[in-house]
Amino acid sequence: MLRRHLLNCRRINTASKRISRHYYSTTTATDAHANDKDYLNALVYRIHEVPEAQVAQDAPLKNLLVAIKDNICTAGIPTTCSSRMLKTFVPPYDATVVKLLREAGASIIGKTNCDEFGMGSSNLWSIHGPALNPSDPGNASESELELRSAGGSSGGSAAAVAAGFCDAQVSALGTDTGGSVRLPASYCGVVGFKPSYGIVSRWGVISYADSLDCVGILGKTVDYVRQVYHTVNKYDESDPTAAHVETRDQAASICHEHMVNWSTSGRLNGLRIGIPQLSPASQEYFPSELSSAILGPYRETLRCLAARGAQLVSVSMPSTRYALSAYYVIASAEASSNLARYDGIEFGLRVDPDGPSQIKKAGDVYAQTRSLGFGPEVQRRILLGTYALTADAFDNYFLQAQRVRKLVRADFDRVFRARNVLTTGGTEASDEGVDVLLHPSAIQTAPALVHDPEKGAYRLEDSVSSLDAYLQDVLTVPASLAGLPAMSVPSGFGEDKWPIGVSVVGQWGCDDLVLRVGNEIESLLAGSTVDVG
Amino acid sequence: MLAGRGRITRRLDRYSIRSAHQLRASAQDKRWPGWAVVVGIEVHAQIKSREKLFSNTWTSTLSQDSNTRVSAYDAAFPGTLPKLNPSCVELGVRTALALEADVQRRSTFDRKHYFYPDLPSGYQITQHYTPFAKGGTLRLPKSATQVRVTQIQLEQDTGKSTSAAHGLTTHIDLNRAGTGLMEIVSEPDMRSPEEAAEYVKTLQSLLRSVGSSDGNMEQGSLRCDVNVSVHELAKPGQLGTRCEIKNLNSIKGITVAITSEVLRQIQLLENGEKVRQETRGFDEDTAETFSLRSKEDAPDYRYMPDPNLPPLLLSDDYILSIKSRMPDLPAVTEGRLRGMGLSQRDCEVLMAIDSGREVGYDGTLGQGAVAYFDTVAQGRDPKAVVNWITHELLGQLAHRQDTFTQNAMTAAQMGDLIDLVQSKCITGTSGKLILRHILEHRSTSMPTQLVRELGLLAAETEDDTLRAWCTAAIQALPQESQLVRVGNERVLNRILGHVMKTSKGRANPEAAKAMLLSILR
Repeated sequence: MLRRHLLNCRRINTASKRISRHYYSTTTATDAHANDKDYLNALVYRIHEVPEAQVAQDAPLKNLLVAIKDNICTAGIPTTCSSRMLKTFVPPYDATVVKLLREAGASIIGKTNCDEFGMGSSNLWSIHGPALNPSDPGNASESELELRSAGGSSGGSAAAVAAGFCDAQVSALGTDTGGSVRLPASYCGVVGFKPSYGIVSRWGVISYADSLDCVGILGKTVDYVRQVYHTVNKYDESDPTAAHVETRDQAASICHEHMVNWSTSGRLNGLRIGIPQLSPASQEYFPSELSSAILGPYRETLRCLAARGAQLVSVSMPSTRYALSAYYVIASAEASSNLARYDGIEFGLRVDPDGPSQIKKAGDVYAQTRSLGFGPEVQRRILLGTYALTADAFDNYFLQAQRVRKLVRADFDRVFRARNVLTTGGTEASDEGVDVLLHPSAIQTAPALVHDPEKGAYRLEDSVSSLDAYLQDVLTVPASLAGLPAMSVPSGFGEDKWPIGVSVVGQWGCDDLVLRVGNEIESLLAGSTVDVG
Repeated sequence: MLAGRGRITRRLDRYSIRSAHQLRASAQDKRWPGWAVVVGIEVHAQIKSREKLFSNTWTSTLSQDSNTRVSAYDAAFPGTLPKLNPSCVELGVRTALALEADVQRRSTFDRKHYFYPDLPSGYQITQHYTPFAKGGTLRLPKSATQVRVTQIQLEQDTGKSTSAAHGLTTHIDLNRAGTGLMEIVSEPDMRSPEEAAEYVKTLQSLLRSVGSSDGNMEQGSLRCDVNVSVHELAKPGQLGTRCEIKNLNSIKGITVAITSEVLRQIQLLENGEKVRQETRGFDEDTAETFSLRSKEDAPDYRYMPDPNLPPLLLSDDYILSIKSRMPDLPAVTEGRLRGMGLSQRDCEVLMAIDSGREVGYDGTLGQGAVAYFDTVAQGRDPKAVVNWITHELLGQLAHRQDTFTQNAMTAAQMGDLIDLVQSKCITGTSGKLILRHILEHRSTSMPTQLVRELGLLAAETEDDTLRAWCTAAIQALPQESQLVRVGNERVLNRILGHVMKTSKGRANPEAAKAMLLSILR
C-alpha cells in the first residue's frame, strides 16, 4: 500500500522537480524513491514499511500518509528535536497523537525537520540543516532557483506537505508554540492549523513551553486538516492540561449556535469577521514591519468574503503590541525549566568530563553535556528564561509577562461573540462581537536563505537582522498566548510570487468554526489562484 | 505633625503587643542560664501511598533493588507529563484536618529548580506560592503547650545518590524519585530541644493515626530540618539570628543537634561574635553541627508556577467526606478509653503500641492494640480486658520478643479466654497457660477447646483430687509444712505453689489454701 503511494508520488513529482541537484542532501538511502525530494531536507527519518495487516479495512484514515514533526515521540523511532542532545534518543512510547493516528489507519511516513526543540522561525536551528521551501514561483530555471526558508519551527512538516511527497493524501503533524505551524504554512502555501490549547493531547510531545505548546496539523487543504483534527482531538487523561469533555462540549455547542446563522445559507450572511487594530487611534492593526506586498492579497480576501455576505468589523486589540515581548519571556522561562532535564544522566547525549577537576560539582559535569548538546538559539533562550525566573527579575519579567498574557486574553474575549467557557465570570458575549478574527499570517513571504560557504551553513539574508527573525512571530503569538484556535490558509501570492497566508482566529473551543471559515476562504480563492503544489 | 506621631506610636504599640503574643516566654534552663532558645521545625513526611505523587509507578521500600520502581516520567523522559495522584491529596487533607489546619479550596503547584543528579527533571514540583493547607496546631501533652503549624505543602521526593568515599562515581537510585511528600512547617514555637523532640514524636504518631505516613525516621520516611536561634532571656523581643540544621533523622539526633547548636551560638555571642545565618549539617559521631552554606551562597531556586498542573481545587463536599471517614485522632481515642474506665497508664500503653502499628497504603490502617481492645471489650468488663491485654498478652509478647503485629492470639480467642476465667471455669493460672500455649504453638483453637485438650478445667473445691494434691505437696515439703504447723503462714505459698504445679493450675488457689491449712492445723 505504502509502496504504491510512494511510487505514485515519485511519478507525480518528477515533473515538478525543478531545484538543482546541488541541493540534494547527503542522505544515503538505498531505495530509489527514498531520495525523492530529499533536497528539501524535510524528512529527517523515513519509515519504509507499514504492516498493512494491522490496518482495518474501514479505518477512517486508511489512505492517509502522515509525517510527524521530530519533537513528537514515536515508539522505536528516533525523535531528535533536531538537537544534538537527542540525536540518538529513541523513545519507548508513542505520543498520544501518534497512537490515535495509527489506530485510525494512517501511515506514518517519517519524521520531519524542525528548529531545535521548536525554537526558531526559519528552521535554521537544526542539526539536520534547514528545511527548504519547495513553493518557488515555478518560473526559475534550476540554476536560478531561489533558496527560501520553509519557515519554522515546523518547517519540515510544511515543506513535506507543500512538496507533495506523495499523492494528494498527505498531512503532517507539527507543534505550534508561538506560530510554529502557521508561519511555515504561510511561507510554504499550505494550510496550518493550531487547535485550541488543551484540545489535542500533549502527552509524548517534547515540551518547549508547556503553557503554549499545541500539536498542530498541516495539510494541502482544509479538508485533510479537518480529517486529522477530528482523529486527534480526543480527551486524554494522561495530559493534565487536557480540556475536559464537558468543557469541550460546552464550547462546541456555543460555537455551533453561532455557526447555524450562516452555515446553511450557502452565503456568509451573519458571519462577523473582526479586523483587528492595534489601538483605536491607528487605522491599521498591523505593525510597521508588515510588508506592503502582504496587504494586497489580504485585502482581496476580505473583499471576497464581504462579497459573499460576511460582515467586516473593525476591532481594537490594544494589548497586542506587548504580546511578542511577553511571549518570549514566558516561552523562554518555561523552556529554561523544561530543558533542565537534559543533563546527560538518564538519556540523550552525554559528554564525559575531561578529568577529575571537572567532577567536583554536578554542575561542572552537566556543563559539558549542555554546552555541546544545545545549539546557539536554545542556549540563548535558556539563558533568557533562566534570568527571567531569578528572584531579582521574576516580578519585572515573568509576572509582568503573565499580566500581559491576561490582557491579551481579555482583548480576545472582549471582541468575540462567543463567550470563553474557560473564563469564569467573564463578560457575556454580545451580538456586537465577531465570530472570527482575520489577519495576515506573516509579515512577509518566506525569507531568502544564503549559503555561507565559510561556515558551511545556511543563514537568513543579510537584510534580515537577528531581531527581525523574532518579529516573524509577531502576528501569530497573540492567539498562542490566549490558547485560541488559529489557522493559516493560503490566500494568494506576494509581489515576489511566493505564497502568503491569512490567519483565522476563533474563540476557545470554536475550532470547527475556524475550520469552516478556513474552508470558505479556500473555496473562494480556489478559482483565482494557481496551484502551488 | 502630632497626628503623624500618634500613628507611629500606635503602630509600634500594636507591634510589640503582637510580638509578645506570638512569642511564648521561655523559662530559665539550667543548661544555659540567662539564655532563651527558639526552635521551628520543617518536617518532610513521605506520604504512604501505593503510587507516586505524579506517576502511577509504585512507591518503594528500602529493600527493593535500585531503579526497579522507575517509570519514564520518574526519569524525566522527554514528552512525559505529570498526573496528580488523588490518594496523595486525600492523605494530605487527612493530615491537615488532624492538625486543625485550614484546607485551602485552591492551591497550586510550582517548580523549584536546581541541578542535582538525583533530581532528573532539574526541578522539584512543590507548593511554594500557595500550599494546600495553612495555619494548624499541634498540642504537646508533656510540655503542656501547643505549636502552630504555618503551612503544609505537597511535593515530590528526590532520588538518592550515593558516592563511595574518595570514589569518582556516584550511583543514582530513582526508586524514591517522585514519591509524595508532605512538608509540614511549624512556627518558631518550641523553646527547648526536648520540646522539639516531643513535637516530632507527637506529629509522628498523629501521621500514623491518620494513616498518612508511616513516619519511620530510621528509614528516612520522616526527615526534619530544624531552625534554631538563641537570645538573652531578659530581652524577649530581640530574637537571635537563626541557623537551619538540615536532615535530622532521629529523635535523639534532633535533641543532640539542637543542644549542640544552642551551645555553639551562645559561645559565639558570649565571645562577642555574631551568629551568621546559615545552613548547617549535623555530624552524629562528633555530635556537632557544621556549616554547609551561608545565606549569601543560598541558591536561587527560580520558582515558577508549573505550567502542566492545573490548580488543585478542593470542594467543601470533598473535605467533609474526608472528615467523615477520618480515623480517630489520638486525643479522641484517649478520651473514649478513659470514658470506659481505663486508667491513664492503660491508655498510654495501648496507644503507644498503636502508634507503632503498621500503616498500610493509601490510608488503610493496620489493626492496632486499641482496635484489638475494642473488639475484645465488647460485652465484657473493659478493665478485666485491658488487664489481660496489657499485663498478660503484652508481657508474654515482650518475653518472646514479638511485636504486637506478630500476635498470634485473635480477639475472639482472647474474649473466650477471659470469659472462661471470669466465669471461674478455669483459674487465672490456667488462663495464662492457655495464652502461652496459643502464642507458642500459634494455635487457632478456641480456649474452650484447649481447656479440654489440656485438662485444665478448674477442680471442685471439696474434691478428693484437691485433697490428694495437697497431701502430696505436704509430703514433698516436710520442712515447710512443719513451719506452717507452728504458725509461720508465710511459707504456705511455697506449698501452694507445689499444689498448683502438680495440678497444672487446675486447683483453685483459694480452695487449695484453705485445704492445706485445714490439713496442717
